[in-house]
Amino acid sequence: MGLLKTIKRVFTWWDGQTINTQFFTWRKGVKVGSDAEGNVYYRDRSDKKRWVIFNGEVEGSRVSPDWHGWLHRTWDKAPTEAPLTHKSWEKPHQENLTGTALAYAPTGSIRRTNAPADRSDYEAWSPE
Amino acid sequence: MSDLRKIIIDGKELEVPGAMTLIQACEEAGVEVPRFCYHERLSIAGNCRMCLVEVVGGPPKPAASCAMQVRDLRPGPEGQPPVVKTNSPMVKKAREGVMEFLLINHPLDCPICDQGGECDLQDQAMAYGVDFSRYREPKRAAEDLDLGPLVETHMTRCISCTRCVRFTTEVAGITQMGQTGRGEDSEITSYLGETLNSNMQGNVIDLCPVGALVSKPYAFTARPWELTKTESIDVMDALGSNIRVDTKGREVMRILPRNHDGVNEEWISDKTRFVWDGLRRQRLDTPYIRENGKLRKASWGEALTAAAAAMKGKKVAGLVGDLASVEATYSLKALIEGLGGTVECRTDNAKLPGGNRGAYVGNATIEDIDTAKNILLIGTNPRDEAPVLNARIRKAWTKGATVARLGQPADLTYDVVELGSDRDALAALAAMDHSDKHGIPGVMIIGQGAINEADGAAVLAAAINTALKAQSKVLILHSAASRVGAMDVGAVTQGGMKAAMDGAEVVYNLGADEVEIGDGAFVIYQGSHGDRGAHRADIILPGAAYTEENGLFVNTEGRPQLAMRAGFAPGEAKENWAILRALSAETGTVLPWDSLAQLRQALVADRPHLAAIDEVPENEVKPLKDGKLGKATFRPAVRDFYLTNPIARASALMAELSAGAKARTAPKVAAE
Repeated sequence: MGLLKTIKRVFTWWDGQTINTQFFTWRKGVKVGSDAEGNVYYRDRSDKKRWVIFNGEVEGSRVSPDWHGWLHRTWDKAPTEAPLTHKSWEKPHQENLTGTALAYAPTGSIRRTNAPADRSDYEAWSPE
Repeated sequence: MSDLRKIIIDGKELEVPGAMTLIQACEEAGVEVPRFCYHERLSIAGNCRMCLVEVVGGPPKPAASCAMQVRDLRPGPEGQPPVVKTNSPMVKKAREGVMEFLLINHPLDCPICDQGGECDLQDQAMAYGVDFSRYREPKRAAEDLDLGPLVETHMTRCISCTRCVRFTTEVAGITQMGQTGRGEDSEITSYLGETLNSNMQGNVIDLCPVGALVSKPYAFTARPWELTKTESIDVMDALGSNIRVDTKGREVMRILPRNHDGVNEEWISDKTRFVWDGLRRQRLDTPYIRENGKLRKASWGEALTAAAAAMKGKKVAGLVGDLASVEATYSLKALIEGLGGTVECRTDNAKLPGGNRGAYVGNATIEDIDTAKNILLIGTNPRDEAPVLNARIRKAWTKGATVARLGQPADLTYDVVELGSDRDALAALAAMDHSDKHGIPGVMIIGQGAINEADGAAVLAAAINTALKAQSKVLILHSAASRVGAMDVGAVTQGGMKAAMDGAEVVYNLGADEVEIGDGAFVIYQGSHGDRGAHRADIILPGAAYTEENGLFVNTEGRPQLAMRAGFAPGEAKENWAILRALSAETGTVLPWDSLAQLRQALVADRPHLAAIDEVPENEVKPLKDGKLGKATFRPAVRDFYLTNPIARASALMAELSAGAKARTAPKVAAE
């Protein structure tokens, strides 16, 4: 761990856990499980607190609905104990992409860089 | 006009003919009276009640000024002129009441209505509308009609002014529209749900004061205030209708008529109005050169050099297409004749005598039709060749003129006396004594269908000599917008098309797509659309279409009119005269002008009558030498109204209309 990374960890909170959170988790945390993205879910021994340590960017919408329900006490048992039933037509969870390069851009939007719409206002003739 | 009456309007005394309506008298006095149903060119209905005025001394109620004549008013007790008030509190209250009733059943559609911004109801509600509604009941609902691919209906917006019904029955001469029901249940409907069978139906869109009838192709594409309006001239037929081209950026969004009493009044045909989608499709936007039998894209430099190399030292023939402006034709003539070739504009083989303006234009103006008592149509179907002119003939017919026809029977929306359909009938007519028609205004309209066959010159001579015998005026009805202008600048070859094409090694085709060019000749095509001419071409030079360059067009009565540029040509395409000027530098016969202004100066110095824009020069019709008439029947010049030129053929809408027209005339199958 380089010096810059250490300084970043001290002064920022948005790329992984802060030092305080890491210390708190080491002291009180009981690991409950982790999801496909590598986010790890903890509770304290009395189950009064539940929290998540993100694997990477701290972004609330990265928590899937299964774990979201447990974190927010919609259900008591974690998905590791009582998995949710998923229908065949359900799409995999995706985080909110607004503000990122992958955000949805309607056809004709100037943000569509990958496939620029044909903006010609006439149809040219071509032989054949 | 001896029946002049004095009248006082808003304290201003003026003298007007007694037959005038109050609304017209108010206009004379400079007072604008709001109206919905009243229209100058239609009959008076008097059913919208918006034009209410106060007549002092008359009955104690407001009077509809469109339906009351000046001579109906009583003078005062001591013979003072009658007094009309248009801005009194009573008038304002009355109009507010009318407006409130109109708005009861009018939906609040303005934000999604295409009429928004140019809506009479919207404008007048600003002056006479109240800002709240007392109406709590459900609004009247009406089902939308299917009037065909041009006119979209939103019948809940209809205020029952009946302008569309009056236009279709009186001007267009069709009977599909009408009003049924009474009171709140009255509805504008089409007879048995039929679509409109007229090639002038688009005019009801302009006439509709609200958004009940709107343009289907233009639907939801633009707002009137974001359009650039350019006043121009139409080239779809030879009438030269005055149009306004509305553009957004480069694109033509719609075409509307302009008022010109001498030409198109304020109507235009559907081809004129809706052809603009053809301006976007099949465009030539880059030069092409044919190499090893295939056309490949080229730069202007390459194409011009190749064209010049091909033309040098060869026998060149120039063909002037139907949509070419006078400037382009004049440039082509100067270029080709500088190279020792000849130019020809009568691509449909019409036997119009070059140099004899009386015989290729005639001496009648379009306005002469209004006052004519006898109208003779020879080999023409004006409903297809110039629909607006046909409406004019219909107007003369409703005023009592007799219309006779030599040619194939076709429904022209008015009664026609059939004189026969072949050459023999013309010969019989020519042999008759016509002295009984002296002193009665008459117009003979000669179509291109009569004179584009082998004996065309004889037919023209027989027709014109008959007209002279009957002291009737002559109008040659052309089918191409460029024709009269091209004849004026003398773009003709002695001997016509056959002589021009005979032995031509290089054909310079200026947008003539209706011509079959035989194998062997090297073809340089200059035009705006990839049509038949482009497929046959060896070099393609992309030119501007009629909305994309300034140009002079001379209409069928010989009236020069200026068309204005509304947008720029697509891609690499250039203005037509500029292409010819650039090519002339390559061939070494440089044309002596560097700008359109210089070209026009040279043109006007050569042909002075073209300088008098919007004036019809007087022509003298002289007797022609009789020829030998053939035996055939007269055939119409226009076979498919909707597909007469490359722009129309590029238009998807025109193709749909053409198919619709064909299906209409096809025999019905049993299930229908």
